[in-house]
Amino acid sequence: MTILESARKGLITDEMRQVAIIEEVTPEFIRAGVALGEIVILKNNAHKNVIPVAVGKGLTTKVSASVGMYHSKDTIAGEIEKVVTAKLAGADTIMDLSVTGDIDSMRKSALITTSKPIGTLPLYQAMAEAKKNKGSSLEMSVDDLFHVIERHASDGIDFLALHCGTTMEVVKRAKGEGRLDPLVSYGGARLMGWMIHHNQENPLYENFDRLLEIANKYDVVLSFADAMRPGCTQDSLIGSQIQEYIILGDLITRARDAGVQVMVKGPGHVPINQIETTVNIQKSLCKGAPYFVFGPLVTDTAVGYDHISAAIGGAISAYAGADFLCYVTPAEHIGLPNKEQVHEGVIAARIAAHAADLANGIDKAVRWDLEMSLARKDLDWEKQIELSIDPETARRTWTERSDDFSSECTMCGKYCAMKIVSEFLNKKKVG
Amino acid sequence: MNQIDAARSGKYTEEMEIVAFMENVGIEFIREGVAKGTIVIPKNRVRDRANICGIGKGLDIKVNALFGTSSDREQMPMEARKLKIAEEAGCHSFMDLSTGGDIDGMRKQSLSLATVAMGGVPIYQAGVEAIEKKGNLMQMTSDDIFETIEKQAADGLDFMAIHCALNFDIIHTLQRTGRVTDVVSRGGSFLTGWMLQNQKENPLYEEFDRLLKIMKAYDVVLSIGDAIRPGSTADSLDEAQIKGLMVAGELTKRALAQGVQVMIEGPGHVPLNHVKSTIELQKRLCHNVPYFILGFLATDIAPGYDNITGAIGGAYAGLHGADFLCYLTPAEHLGLPNEEDVRTGVISTRIAARAVNIARKRDHALKSEYYMSKARVENNIQAQIDNAIYPEKLQDSLINIADHENNHDDEAMQVVAKYFGIA
Repeated sequence: MTILESARKGLITDEMRQVAIIEEVTPEFIRAGVALGEIVILKNNAHKNVIPVAVGKGLTTKVSASVGMYHSKDTIAGEIEKVVTAKLAGADTIMDLSVTGDIDSMRKSALITTSKPIGTLPLYQAMAEAKKNKGSSLEMSVDDLFHVIERHASDGIDFLALHCGTTMEVVKRAKGEGRLDPLVSYGGARLMGWMIHHNQENPLYENFDRLLEIANKYDVVLSFADAMRPGCTQDSLIGSQIQEYIILGDLITRARDAGVQVMVKGPGHVPINQIETTVNIQKSLCKGAPYFVFGPLVTDTAVGYDHISAAIGGAISAYAGADFLCYVTPAEHIGLPNKEQVHEGVIAARIAAHAADLANGIDKAVRWDLEMSLARKDLDWEKQIELSIDPETARRTWTERSDDFSSECTMCGKYCAMKIVSEFLNKKKVG
Repeated sequence: MNQIDAARSGKYTEEMEIVAFMENVGIEFIREGVAKGTIVIPKNRVRDRANICGIGKGLDIKVNALFGTSSDREQMPMEARKLKIAEEAGCHSFMDLSTGGDIDGMRKQSLSLATVAMGGVPIYQAGVEAIEKKGNLMQMTSDDIFETIEKQAADGLDFMAIHCALNFDIIHTLQRTGRVTDVVSRGGSFLTGWMLQNQKENPLYEEFDRLLKIMKAYDVVLSIGDAIRPGSTADSLDEAQIKGLMVAGELTKRALAQGVQVMIEGPGHVPLNHVKSTIELQKRLCHNVPYFILGFLATDIAPGYDNITGAIGGAYAGLHGADFLCYLTPAEHLGLPNEEDVRTGVISTRIAARAVNIARKRDHALKSEYYMSKARVENNIQAQIDNAIYPEKLQDSLINIADHENNHDDEAMQVVAKYFGIA
């Protein structure tokens, strides 16, 4: 029985109990959320060493980090180092988005490196293999695609990103409506190319029941990828984006009826005045399924600083109801991130996630802020550093900018407000 | 004639013309905003400088950078370098917050170097000089404070943060209700200590008309300092903060009546769910004058990354009507920022400001977005660099951008690109 089937029958599983402890909610809260489809638990039943992670309504906002081999010079060892970096920085999940090299070995290495849930995008490998074995990505057959999906699922991948809602009708609308940037999604664009070339409907849409069988068998969460996500702020909330959600909404009902958990991927690039609407539309059309957003970036122009642009969009999205943030690194739109950029990307996304959790009144988050502020008032530096989202960076910054490690910092020196006021207001000395 | 007096008598000043041109709006819109107090133009009448900017309703949101010596770090050449870096990175104004070494010398150096509006916090110098010359802060007199204000105005500061909206009523409220972090404003802490020890009302509150005379004489924009701003998300929107805003509102009314331009300084630490309320309260209680916020920081737990918590809070605040963002650097809560921190702080805040200007549908912001996206679709690397918020960063990455786009040899990609007319 899948997690969703159990939840619908009123059964509380071990996974539900495990995530309930982490989230500080009751197992029944988790069960009810899973049954409604508002919470998904990432745990493939073939993924033995995984610690399940829950994503959805009423829970802390989660952060995913993406790695993967993209260039011929990229190595498995190099990407695994990034997996470790992301894990240490506090990512909740990892996505392996390899498009080249020994993709099978890469995936298996990632699975044994971390106990975090792992997601993939099988179309990348299916097309890479078609190119390698048959000379062109267009030569990928429907069976090829499904064989790769089954391979990923049986290896233990916990969530699969699949562009199930990108139908021919959506593609035609996208062409007609004059998007500034219609080819945003790496996999989505290639899938559209395949559909146009063969003049054939999207195989993931047409053979959706075949997909559900695999997902049910391994209890994989389907992560509906959005080929029509806006890739620039100008394309935000355009018709094809909405149409894809409408189609996904129908597929979500079918998936749930088949006992398969689903979440939906989101943009991308969204101006801040359209974020709330974007989240509300997804929640409404996609029937409350958890929303996994990529950023979103709030401006197209912050090249080199897209982790900051994404932190703004991610925080506002999660406050409005998004559940899961895919990180964006400072290398976005320029190249692939190195280890340091992976670290920066995870921390920036975690700041955004936490800011939203705080605003949404999640107890853990409120407590964390309070403890930090109490440590600040006491000028207790060790405690402040320990409570920092990235203690190592906080310590380094403090150390490099201090002269004598006196109780106050070099910002205000001896004219520290905390110190002065504590002396007069509370008649007690701190620091 | 002062900006506000000119505006009220229906006259256009040269500064209004420049602001209207920069903002791509009609000069009458600017004049009306200045007359009502919804727009301020910081420009001390004794200081000439290259760049004039307006702040307030209907305009681009602006970015302020901070620098200055502290008692632990008093290197004037380093502060001069920070000023240069912040201007290069694109800030619209500075505040010199010096509290260490030769404070007069620092201010004069900054005023001679800066091409943008410059502000200061005179209570710092008054307090520090009392400590150094008279042995302790409690010996500071009301005259000391006002003489320092007048000296700094005469030197040419365009705006001044002055903590006039603090009185015993507020301090008693604070004592009664309690807070996690009581007073985190440095100027506010000087005055709170001074008031409690001397059992005397805040001179800046009590002798507010004396202050207005100086502001008016030099046409300095009064930035009402937020002495009682929340210093932790837990303290946001508490009684003391609201009382402070109400007092600021009363003083704002008096300043506007006297023909003094005024804006209100804001927090500080504000969780996202309080952002909208914080701004609506400020606008309502303070008669819609511009709101100059420090952050907001959306959480307390990210020391080393407060440029990011500030960008999150600043962008969301701007969406709800904040007018002016004071930057935060990665060194906030940990130490005095170095040159690199200053650069990162300005750029992070400009990203927040850009996000706001896009949401406000400001022409130039929408154009940059359009040209950048077009450049991406066309794989035009130079245009991507030209439209980036901080192009210097990208020169080294030229090859990487080209490399990133090498996937066009994929057949499926070629088909779809042709279909959409991009190939």
